[in-house]
Amino acid sequence: MMKKLFISSTLLFGVSVAGFWLAAALTPEPVGQTAVAAPTEKRYSPQEVAKHATPGDCWMSINGQVYDFTAYLPGHPADPAVIQPWCGKDASEAYRSKTRGRPHSPYADTLLPKYRIGELTAK
Amino acid sequence: MSPQRWLPPALCLALPLAGMAWAWPVGLSPWRSASILSAWAGCGALLASLVLMVRDPRLAAALGGLDALYRWHHRSGTVGYCLLLIHPLALAADGLDESPRVAWQTLSPLAQDWPEWLGWLGLMLLMAGLASTFMPHLPYRRWRALHYLLGLGVLLGLMHLWAILGGSLGVLGAIGIALAALGWRLVVSDLGALARPYRVSAARHPATDLVEVTLAPCAAALPATPGQFVLAAFGDGEGFHGCREFHPFTVSGIGPGGMLKLDIKALGPCTRHLQHLKPGVTLRLEGPFGDFLAAAGDGPQLWLAGGIGIAPFLAVLRSRPPARPTHLIHLFRHADDAGFSDEIQALAAGSPNLSFVPVASGDNPPDLGPLLAAVPGLAGREAWLCGPPGLNTAASRALRQAGVPPEAIHFESFEFR
Repeated sequence: MMKKLFISSTLLFGVSVAGFWLAAALTPEPVGQTAVAAPTEKRYSPQEVAKHATPGDCWMSINGQVYDFTAYLPGHPADPAVIQPWCGKDASEAYRSKTRGRPHSPYADTLLPKYRIGELTAK
Repeated sequence: MSPQRWLPPALCLALPLAGMAWAWPVGLSPWRSASILSAWAGCGALLASLVLMVRDPRLAAALGGLDALYRWHHRSGTVGYCLLLIHPLALAADGLDESPRVAWQTLSPLAQDWPEWLGWLGLMLLMAGLASTFMPHLPYRRWRALHYLLGLGVLLGLMHLWAILGGSLGVLGAIGIALAALGWRLVVSDLGALARPYRVSAARHPATDLVEVTLAPCAAALPATPGQFVLAAFGDGEGFHGCREFHPFTVSGIGPGGMLKLDIKALGPCTRHLQHLKPGVTLRLEGPFGDFLAAAGDGPQLWLAGGIGIAPFLAVLRSRPPARPTHLIHLFRHADDAGFSDEIQALAAGSPNLSFVPVASGDNPPDLGPLLAAVPGLAGREAWLCGPPGLNTAASRALRQAGVPPEAIHFESFEFR
């Protein structure tokens, strides 16, 4: 029984991985998705970002862009104590170093546009 | 089934449940929740598998025997692996809401970094190591080397966990359990750090491809009783170099001063080499394990042995004549495999309670029907079977058909490697 379970689950896993790959390959590449601020886009000062510094209302700025991570916080893989202190702050360095000297994954980069709400102003 | 027999499955259930309870997701999407829960349930099942792999006589006795531990070690490891397969797939499924491209980027190692690569590598090692456990004809040494991949796979998986989540209590607890179990298994069990030293004092060949060795303790003796088995790693002696691997052997005789007899059948490269054992060779013993025949009742007995499965019955008979009517059937292939027939015939001649039937069945499976039909009062006997799994299964079925209640049929099989 364990042998059947191993073989069937391994085969199903392989088929599923191939299915995800195929679905992605057959999906047209999105166009026009960019992090560059449009002229009419909202712009926020560091002081404005700092007003959203709680887990229930969590904004951060990363590399000159402002993100509303309120909806994302529960899904962040790390312990909440790692990411919550950055609410309301500039987290560019934390994003680059991930607090242990390594950057976030390319997959994390793909998630950022989903939460972007505008551009950071100097003051 | 003794109450202790429930402990291994209870552990296999408790650790995954504990992992899921600790990491219980709140406010996440169903797929993301499924991903987290499958990861922690799989992690818990693998940790249970590691704990059940610890080969310690006290732990084995407390948890219902080494065979039960190994059976649940295997089951829990397989189920844990299957649960871990769900983890990346559920994470990817969570990205399908956005687009199949995001889903694939969640899954593809090319879009990830080394923390995720650790997870993938761990999963691949588990896949390779587990596949080897389903290959019964794989040579023992190759099987063992591939089995070590499983331990490495679990460690890489835990490093993946630590890299993603940091050193939280749950992660550190999981790493602590894994390191303790793996360390104990490697240092104490496989390297024999607590094994007792013995020396071969005599060796003889009662049958073809069979050597019987008499062992004298060099320090405190193992407290073995008839029906138990030990793990022995034979070392060197004059003109002999042992393979130094621990293999299980049923004790076939216990003498004064902690003397033990083991009968070693040539079944693989190491046991074939052991046929050349000589007096003076040193060895280390772990154990004793098992409780075969320990719970024998006061009623009449049927003992059925296949080949070298005669060893536990021989140990009992050599220690004392049976106190209750006992019918012993010894099945072997050919006359030169019989080994102990003369000795048991002599014991039976001096014991009115013992009747002995040696049977050379040839290369075909023995016809158990006539053999069992000739046993007086079969349905009222307690049956103890010790032989290859196929013989035990066939004999058990034949005994039930002959009216022996299932609870009166007891097994001793040689299934673990």
